[in-house]
Amino acid sequence: MATNGTSTTIATTATTTTTKESPSNVNVTNVTAALDIEGNVPLESVQLDGLVVLKIIKHCREFFPNTVTGQLLGLDVNGVLEVTNCFPFPGPTKSDDENELVDGARYQVDMMRCLREVNVDHNTVGWYQSTYLGSFVTHKLIETQHNYQQTFNNKSVVIVHDVSRSTHGNLSLRAFRFTQAFMDAQRENKFTTESLLKNKLTFSNIFEELPITIKNSHLITALLHSLDDFENVIPQGGISTLDKETVTGPLTPNFDTLELSLDPYIEKNLEFLLEAIDEHGQEQSNFAFWQRSVTREQTKLQTALQKRKQENVHRLAAGQELLPEEEITKLFKLPPEPSRLDSLLITAQINNYCKQLNQYSGPTLGKLFMSGELQKP
Amino acid sequence: MPIDAATSALNLSFPPTAAATGFVIPQSRSFTVSVNPVVLFSILDHYLRRQEKQHRVIGTLLGVRSEDGSEVEVRNCFPVPHDESQNQVAVDMEYHSNMFELHKKVNSKEVIVGWYATGANLNQWNALIQDFYSKEVLPPFQAIHLTMDTDLKNEEKLLGVKTYVSAPIGTSAKPENCLFLPVPCDIKYFDAERSGLDLLASAKDQPDRSTTLISDMDNLEKTILAVQEMLDRISDYVNKVLNGTIPENNNIGRFLMDTISVVPKIEKLEFEKMFNSHLQDLLMVVYLANMTRTQLAIAERLQLLI
Repeated sequence: MATNGTSTTIATTATTTTTKESPSNVNVTNVTAALDIEGNVPLESVQLDGLVVLKIIKHCREFFPNTVTGQLLGLDVNGVLEVTNCFPFPGPTKSDDENELVDGARYQVDMMRCLREVNVDHNTVGWYQSTYLGSFVTHKLIETQHNYQQTFNNKSVVIVHDVSRSTHGNLSLRAFRFTQAFMDAQRENKFTTESLLKNKLTFSNIFEELPITIKNSHLITALLHSLDDFENVIPQGGISTLDKETVTGPLTPNFDTLELSLDPYIEKNLEFLLEAIDEHGQEQSNFAFWQRSVTREQTKLQTALQKRKQENVHRLAAGQELLPEEEITKLFKLPPEPSRLDSLLITAQINNYCKQLNQYSGPTLGKLFMSGELQKP
Repeated sequence: MPIDAATSALNLSFPPTAAATGFVIPQSRSFTVSVNPVVLFSILDHYLRRQEKQHRVIGTLLGVRSEDGSEVEVRNCFPVPHDESQNQVAVDMEYHSNMFELHKKVNSKEVIVGWYATGANLNQWNALIQDFYSKEVLPPFQAIHLTMDTDLKNEEKLLGVKTYVSAPIGTSAKPENCLFLPVPCDIKYFDAERSGLDLLASAKDQPDRSTTLISDMDNLEKTILAVQEMLDRISDYVNKVLNGTIPENNNIGRFLMDTISVVPKIEKLEFEKMFNSHLQDLLMVVYLANMTRTQLAIAERLQLLI
């Protein structure tokens, strides 16, 4: 995806924002206040416009099961990141990487310029990504989010949308950003056991999840109310083909959650979990291999040192010049420690899968007993 | 009488290519328009962000057509700046084509199908803009014009959504003369979008117009309560019919019969077997998942202890 190189090309312009609606007039003073002390108020929550939610869902659905990304636009106001618009990034093309990066950057700049003309907030506040079954903890995400957080002064989030979960009747949107500990470690780009310990970095504090609220504008609220009264929004008067018997309004109660067949879902989840555990095992054996080779090298070094010392004792007895001991330590090189980032990510992923399984099985148990009740004579 | 001229003008409006290639001529048959909610949301957002003295906004509609042309799905849209005064209208065509190019990079399937405007009134500018968009839409299809009544000045105080196609009118075809014919339109969305819409709709009665995401369990609870409410209502109705307080309705009776017969009849033993094996599977999965998480937690603690 052409997001890595591109995020640096956009200038952070948080100056001219348009008042969107009457209540945000109140916010205008807040905006300037927030800009003055920028960087001082940490992000506490994310507020999405209804439009953003729908746009993300649309983009992710259209390219499901491929992973897609896009940019979020908005503003941070006193610790609340308001996302008011977004636009999708083009998917990866067949062309070579160099061109793709340039194209992606140009696309981004062009799009921002165009949106600015129609008074859309043109301040980048993060990006979104689609995922399949919550498997989003990847190197790509880490790299991109790191880029964003570095460029935009830690005030950017990644919103992860799980299409497969959302089809089960409950929208799945999560907002993440890196913790300071992870940012520090990533900046040094060193993921050795030592640095992990120093930063107190474990799988559970790579990300920090921010609560999401969704806010509609007044007009959207009006639209939703109108949609309830569906037949009135779109007049039936003789021109509509809508059959009143079969058509249900767009916002009738949703009973998708009552779907009983969640087995394929759990099966797939377990499959992913097993895969992750296999990978984890591999990482472990890599690490063990490294440890063994370190000990091996160290014993070799010790024996060589011992030898040199004995020789020096002999030389001392014979009155000869002593041989330096440092040379030997230079001769033996300890193999570098493999990056622990992979195992860190994999554990985070495993934790994710397990959590998901737990979250699923609760309602499924409920539904199971419900169907049991139905079968009672 | 210039009838000839008029008829020839009408004939001209049917593109000759359609007939030559032997395709069904879409204009000759009716087609319906379905609109994705995201389009309505975008239009309203655009209207909110209009320039200070602007009374209405316009933009381009993107979408796909079904193969036989009988249905047009409007799936996306983008705003186009325009300037309207007493005696002239200017549409930023360059912006329009730039934006379309950008959209094409993301989704090449979506093509221009028409344009939108806010406000319920149709005036001569609408006709002019319609003429411009008719040239943008690939023949043999017609441009759709969608209006949304953002002034809410109609009787029902609703955001009326209407779609039109245009037909030339008058003795000679002039771009500012056209007749807008209403076409049927409905709202269509996908399964994946439904959960999002439901959530958005749950905010509509809140005074602060906002909502938060709910967990799967809470969502299930909400649904079950809804089902319970429906069951209560229907049993109340059935009781009333049995008591003779209200006359029975055969249609409702039939629907009830259908619904009840949907519940499958399974042998008790067999069901128990299925139920138990399912339960065991599920509990096992939960147990294993929890076990793994505990392992991870222990590993984390150990690491921090060093």
